[in-house]
Amino acid sequence: MAHEHDVNAISYKTYMMTWFWLLVMTMLALGLGYAPIAERLKALLLVCTTLAKILLIASIFMHLRYERINLIMITLAPLVLAIILFSFTFPETLGSASHVISVR
Amino acid sequence: MDATLAEQQRVLASDWGGGKSPFGTSWSKFMMWIFIISDALTFAGFLIAYGFVRGISQKWPKQTEVFNMVLITFMTFALISSSAVMAMAVGAARARQPKLAVRFLALTIAGGLIFLGCQAYEWSHFIREGARLTHNPWGVPQFAAAFFVITGFHGFHVFSGVTILAIVALRAAMGKYSADGVENAGLYWHFVDVVWVFVFAFFYLL
Repeated sequence: MAHEHDVNAISYKTYMMTWFWLLVMTMLALGLGYAPIAERLKALLLVCTTLAKILLIASIFMHLRYERINLIMITLAPLVLAIILFSFTFPETLGSASHVISVR
Repeated sequence: MDATLAEQQRVLASDWGGGKSPFGTSWSKFMMWIFIISDALTFAGFLIAYGFVRGISQKWPKQTEVFNMVLITFMTFALISSSAVMAMAVGAARARQPKLAVRFLALTIAGGLIFLGCQAYEWSHFIREGARLTHNPWGVPQFAAAFFVITGFHGFHVFSGVTILAIVALRAAMGKYSADGVENAGLYWHFVDVVWVFVFAFFYLL
């Protein structure tokens, strides 16, 4: 494969650094889980932390940064489709009493 | 005639001409990516359904009080560490160092088994507290259902990953392996890690 040379060039040090930053972001996410902040801000910060972690794993561990743009683009499909699906369901959860599940 | 031949060669040499892969990768790796994309959509469906159910519920238990977050963080640590070691296994396989690749694969499998052991403990603890698919002591039936379905489906993926990695490691130890095979198994393992990153953030922390 054309990209094999690039993939072989990734050093163990790079993997260790990626691992370190993933752990740092995990601890950051854990801290956010306990932080006394507004739920919407917490959600936004958790989404940002999660996306940063996904980006690191996909680009370094899964070698996506060395792949062709064609392959990179199709891997974004689930994310885009998930956002569309979420945007369909999210308005339904915004306060319509008929949809609310009552708790016994 | 020469011009026609030149044009034919130009078309075949282009990305979508049929002469080469437009994705610049082996068929097996491309198929693994297609599988990962389809599986990602399944998990996206689960997590969005969870978000929907949670959004329409009047109350929701505070997860950090229900679950042992030290254990969950340790599980995350085990999975992320195994993912890093898996990347090194792929590097060793590409560098034609099968013995080193087998050692890294064994460490990856160990990480997966630690994760599964912790998950089994977490499930048994949760069930002992009275959680079932249809009801639980925290008042919102969907809470335990979401927990069992999402973590169960992910746990099954981890179990499958450990099995696949064990086969790949065994074959590598016997000298019957290809770097592409190790990389494909690695892609699946990293995907399992990616899914857990989402579950950890959106199910346990949000």
